[in-house]
Amino acid sequence: MALPPTRDQVLRAVASDEEQIALLRALGEQVDLQIDFWRDPTKPGRPADLRVPFSRLQAVKVFLESHGISYSIMIEDVQHLLDEEKRTMMLSRRMERSANKFNFASYHTLEEIYDWMDTLVADHPNLVSKIQIGESYEKRPLYVLKFSTGGSNRPAVWLDTGIHSREWVTQATGVWTANKLAEDYGHDPTVTSLLDTVDIFFEIVTNPDGYAFTHSSNRLWRKTRSINAASSCIGVDPNRNWDAGFGDTGSSSNPCSETYHGPYAHSESEVKSIVDFIQSHGNVKGLVSIHSYSQMLMFPYGYKRTPAPDHEELNELAKKAVNDLTAVYGTEYTYGSIADTIYLAAGTTVDWAYENGVKYSYTFELRDTGRYGFLLPSSQIIPTATETWPALLDILVHIQQHPY
Amino acid sequence: MPGLGAALPAAALLLLLSSFPPAAAEQPLWPFAPGVMHALNPSDRQASKAAWVALHYANFKAASPSLLRFIQGVGMKYYLHFTTDDYINGENAGSCLATVLYLKRSPPEVNIKCADIQDKKQIQEQDNRFYQYLQHRTKPIIANDIPDSHGNIAHAHLPLWGLAVAGGSFIMLKKSTENLGYFLAQVKAVKQQIRKNNAVELEFMILLHETPTQKIYPCYMHLIWILDHPLTLKYICTSVNHWLEDGSGQDYGSAAGMFHEKEGNF
Repeated sequence: MALPPTRDQVLRAVASDEEQIALLRALGEQVDLQIDFWRDPTKPGRPADLRVPFSRLQAVKVFLESHGISYSIMIEDVQHLLDEEKRTMMLSRRMERSANKFNFASYHTLEEIYDWMDTLVADHPNLVSKIQIGESYEKRPLYVLKFSTGGSNRPAVWLDTGIHSREWVTQATGVWTANKLAEDYGHDPTVTSLLDTVDIFFEIVTNPDGYAFTHSSNRLWRKTRSINAASSCIGVDPNRNWDAGFGDTGSSSNPCSETYHGPYAHSESEVKSIVDFIQSHGNVKGLVSIHSYSQMLMFPYGYKRTPAPDHEELNELAKKAVNDLTAVYGTEYTYGSIADTIYLAAGTTVDWAYENGVKYSYTFELRDTGRYGFLLPSSQIIPTATETWPALLDILVHIQQHPY
Repeated sequence: MPGLGAALPAAALLLLLSSFPPAAAEQPLWPFAPGVMHALNPSDRQASKAAWVALHYANFKAASPSLLRFIQGVGMKYYLHFTTDDYINGENAGSCLATVLYLKRSPPEVNIKCADIQDKKQIQEQDNRFYQYLQHRTKPIIANDIPDSHGNIAHAHLPLWGLAVAGGSFIMLKKSTENLGYFLAQVKAVKQQIRKNNAVELEFMILLHETPTQKIYPCYMHLIWILDHPLTLKYICTSVNHWLEDGSGQDYGSAAGMFHEKEGNF
């Protein structure tokens, strides 16, 4: 696209019926108007963006107004914007070279997060490495960041975010937290002591197929994207697919349901890969699986109301973590077993982990409590991650100090 | 953030008090005297027998062959005291006392009284300004995805979001049960119908998030807003299975399509 002369504008026109669509298309075909569609007119109700040269602005606006086609000025001065963009791109290219200059205050695509992981590893080669534990249904790599200062198969903690793809604040919190761990090592005594003793395995995009789908097609997609035999409905709820109370009340056998547990436990490669990893590691002592929204910190069980054998200790630790979270900005959390705090849920990550030797199994439900829900404004990413950090640290430190 | 002060169930007609009484300065919403009580299971035969006794008394006292009642159903009643924040600006909005009666075959019945701490004058001015703006438009306002994928709402769209929440709340109230809850996940589309007379007419497509099923329900909502009057609302919610499956569901130009279930008040 050749650089246009100054003060061209981009208009956003919205046709209200097919006739207006036809009029917009006809407008674009008039060569002498030199209109460049940045977004083509497709259907009534959907915006069409037209770049209009300064000298033709008057004519085009009169045309739109006389036909009752609603429009607004989207970009008042295209040249200014192009200059800005060039400047920002040059700046960000310079910034891209270090992981902590990543824009943590905005939501990113899968590609951007995967690229950022490589910069994090490059910036902290003695602490962070990237491993692939498997592939998603649609053959995307499942990446885990390993934080380790050495040793041989040290006790480890598993962290995951984004298992439900629409819970965008969790992947974003994962990125911020991974960066925080890397940055604080060697500077903060608690984190340094922690990582000198314990390894952390962090899967930030636990459901990459779902995440890609929330960007391309449906922002509110929750499940995996696996095809179900004999059903037109797609996907399995990855937090009902684990082998703990699999198929019980609190999950659905209907493939069209958002809590469909799948044809059998660990049917989803996204889940099986984690199961295989944790089992073959053999020394995972803690697991934290992060969701949104509801503002809760929970531990097993979800599939039954019976208190877990370690209920007392898990409850006390949850209480401490929640207090430290609230202390940051006043955000209130409730805590307790999954069954008591939210509802019966069968086949969950934390129940499986708990029944497979991982005593300290927790799940967070981050902000908010329903006002924005899954569509949490990006301005709340850093506050959410910041307040969650001390709670997470409480759990990690407790694991470090209570070997078993 | 809103906190739940007390949410203890009680059988309909019997009272179970929370561990702290309502503030002394507020009119008690709960007309029955406090005391130590225990909860009754609403399906307990003793509960309906006691309810009939109360109705025998009332039916006799009314002394009218036309004013008589019988028991339709017994439900679960919650006595609540909670704090709230303003939906639009997030600031503290005071506390509320409420009772909620969940019935089996009808929508819940609510009584509520909230502390009056918001600036009434400012709210009226804001509403009036937005009302005038919508009323005087010659081109219908159209907007999509409020909030957008990143949770952002353009400043000009905040009142539209507000109207969607106000109207959507009616739908969510009607659908709520003791076990199913709702939130407004997103306004997918809103379009104004220009009217010549003194009213604002809007059509919405909103998405409701249902818990604990985690389902997303698309609802079409037709709203008439006349300043200082109750909202007039017609809606239809669908449960199209995976309606956004192939991306074609992103078009709300027409409501035609394959609906598996419908409920609404058209």
